Parts: sequence; structure tokens; C-alpha cells
Amino acid sequence: MATIFGCEIPEDRYYYIERSQMTWVKVEDSRVTIGATDPAQARAGRILFLRVKPAGTVRERGRPIATVESGKWAGPIIAPIGGTISEVNTEAEKEPSLLNSDPYGRGWVARMTPSAPEELALLLSGEAALAKFREVIVRDQIHCDRNPP
Amino acid sequence: MPTPPDPTGKRVLMIITTGPDEPDKSYAPFFTAALMAAMEIETTMFFMVHAPELLKKGAAEKIPLKQGGSLKHFVDMAIENGVRLLACAESIRDLCGLRPEDLLPEVKIIGAPTMADLVLDADAVLSF
Repeated sequence: MATIFGCEIPEDRYYYIERSQMTWVKVEDSRVTIGATDPAQARAGRILFLRVKPAGTVRERGRPIATVESGKWAGPIIAPIGGTISEVNTEAEKEPSLLNSDPYGRGWVARMTPSAPEELALLLSGEAALAKFREVIVRDQIHCDRNPP
Repeated sequence: MPTPPDPTGKRVLMIITTGPDEPDKSYAPFFTAALMAAMEIETTMFFMVHAPELLKKGAAEKIPLKQGGSLKHFVDMAIENGVRLLACAESIRDLCGLRPEDLLPEVKIIGAPTMADLVLDADAVLSF
């Protein structure tokens, strides 16, 4: 686990860092689990609303798989790779603040079956991901807090 | 580029008439529009009367919000989520005293007949 200015970044997964998106992707057998990162939840503030597209929804890379709302931000969570949503975290839909308190665990958003696993190569990992996080965290002055206001 | 709306989705038109004189009313339309666009609803904001003044370059930064920050945060969020910003040509010229080049580059200027088409084409119209 790397830590950048207080933001935790696990090193066992891939990252999609584009525009407002800072999403993690963890490969588990033939599926991937997707969620928001620590700096993403901190920047958004306390998350009040999460709606995920239903299981069975086919999404191309770059299309929304969920909508998130906090008191100061509303936006999509974008599919980092294309595929079919196979499971939705209904616990997090009922308790959206799980995205704040446990972004890499109980606050996961959706599981997908990738249609083109080679798209994982388009995501960042390792030192390249950490460098990009460092750039965004400094630029946006993000201070990670698992219990944001 | 923002995410394009779902082609099978719904269309919402929001009509905004309030300008910088009422900052408390300025942010909710942008927030609502950003949320709807994130839900893949094709969302258009139409600014008329004094509302185009919110879209003047540099104006949103000067509108402080009670919850902190400025209106610019919400304008940027709406643009990033793909909300379409339209402004009334007559209001810009006659009520706001602005020139087209005074507005943000994301704003498209249209006339009243186009607005009539938008109202009739929308699945819902919200007025702020």
C-alpha cells in the first residue's frame, strides 16, 4: 500500500485516472471489481447517493456504470474497461458512505465481466499510477479523510 | 470530451432566468443538471432574462456560495458532465448588454424559435 499525502493507493490493482475519474480495477479470475479510490472519495466529500446500472447492462469503455452524488459533486463513475455488469454492490447503494469509509473494501461499486480484457493495458498501475495520483492530488489539493464532511 | 448521453434516454430542458443578483439560486440548477447528465439524461440549460450573466467569462468565480467556494465549481461540473449550455440571443443583447464573445466558449447562442422547438422536444421542462 502506497500513501501519497495521506491518500492510500493499494498496489494490487489497476487505475483509471482521467478528468474527474479516479477509479480502481481489481482483477479476480474472469471478472473485475471496480470502485472509487481514496482521493476520489475525499475530493467528492461525503457521498449521499449511489445508483449503479443493473446487472446485465453492457457498457463500452468510457460509458457510465454508476452515478454518484455528494453535497458538492455529482457525476458518473465511468467503465474503465468495456464489459457486462455482473454484480452490483447493493449494500453500498443503501449506505453510500461506504465509498468514503472503506473505498477499497466494502465500498466497491460493481463487478464486470470484461468483453476485451486487453483493455486492461490502457489502465495505469505501479509507478505510473502513483505518479499520476501524485500529480492530481497536488493539483487539486486533495487531503484524504475517510470521514469527510 | 464529456460522456455523450444515452441515445435511448430522456431529454430534460432547464430554463434559468435568475442572474448573479440572487447567488443562492444560482448553483442548484447547475448541480441538478450535472446530476441528470451523469445519469445519461440529455440535459440542456437555457439561460434567458438575466441568467446569461452567469455565463460571462470570469463571472462564476465572483459568485461566492454559502457552503464555500464559488459558482465556478458547479459550472465546470455541469460542462464536464456534458450539459449543453444555451443562451437567449435577445436577452444577451438587450437585457444583459453582453456580446457573444463575452460568454464562455461552451455556450451556444440561440433565438426564441429554437427555444420553442426545444420545449416541445423535451420529455420534461424545469424552470428555475
